[in-house]
Amino acid sequence: MSDELKLVEAAKRGSVDAFTELVHGYREGLFRFLQTRCTNHADAEDALQDTLINAYRYIGSYDPRWRFSTWLYRIAIRNAGRLRAENLAELGEHADDSADPLAHCLAESERDNLWRSAKRILSDEVFTAMWLRYVEDMSVRDIASVLERSASWTKVNLLRGRRALEAEMNDTAGTTGSEAYG
Amino acid sequence: MDKLASKLREDANRIDAQVSAQLDNRIRASLNAIEPESALQRKAARRPVSFWLASSLTGITAALAIIAVLNMTDSNEPEPMPRTVVGNTAPAVGIPVLDLDIEAATLTSPLARELEDLQADLKKAEELVRGDVRIDL
Repeated sequence: MSDELKLVEAAKRGSVDAFTELVHGYREGLFRFLQTRCTNHADAEDALQDTLINAYRYIGSYDPRWRFSTWLYRIAIRNAGRLRAENLAELGEHADDSADPLAHCLAESERDNLWRSAKRILSDEVFTAMWLRYVEDMSVRDIASVLERSASWTKVNLLRGRRALEAEMNDTAGTTGSEAYG
Repeated sequence: MDKLASKLREDANRIDAQVSAQLDNRIRASLNAIEPESALQRKAARRPVSFWLASSLTGITAALAIIAVLNMTDSNEPEPMPRTVVGNTAPAVGIPVLDLDIEAATLTSPLARELEDLQADLKKAEELVRGDVRIDL
């Protein structure tokens, strides 16, 4: 049995320490990802907290045939989506869903970050697929599982996202970037 | 690793993802306040298989009983027409109420015929009113 599975088993028996150790390696990446999905820093913090609480509460339902990160990201995406929907419902027409959530967590000198462009030109799902592929090194199968999509959809949209970002990266002559892919 | 992949990874690492000590404490406190739902609890919350079997059988039995009762009471004789007293619902003041005892019509003829009859009735009523009031409608 791997160390991760031992920690999962201990967490299932109610060990907070084991769970904390289990998620320690994923926490930073998860928070980084959530900052791209939430509308502000506070929401990203709430989403991270909710994700870890839900993961601990329902760890009994975790199937070890899947990667733990796949399961964790699935919960994170749901929590981020729920928070965003709550924000929209609460603020109504005052909610600015198109606001750039990455702006607050990037230094001024690093504002030409490609993920900001990705956020602008890709749909949420394609953005997530690209993130899971290129940052989290997930397989197409795992990404499809996280997004609850088919492997074919995932492959096609990874390719589309890739082409769009390559064009964005190479395009120096003022791209409007209004076209959404996926 | 190609240029795009390395750029994406590099740019992702530039995003500040420092979990503050305050958030860390908050998460820790929340985790200590809850317990994972055990497999036993989940099983207990679920209905046993016998429950679904019993409810399915009850449903099927009830459906069969209703079909049987309907078949037993069903006969070829036409049901008697309900008798409707029209005058009871009319207002008592001003308009003389005719105590009509009407039987509900059985729509055996096509709807077109019914429509023609109604139009004829309307025309007759119109002529009657014209005669009484002596004005053109």
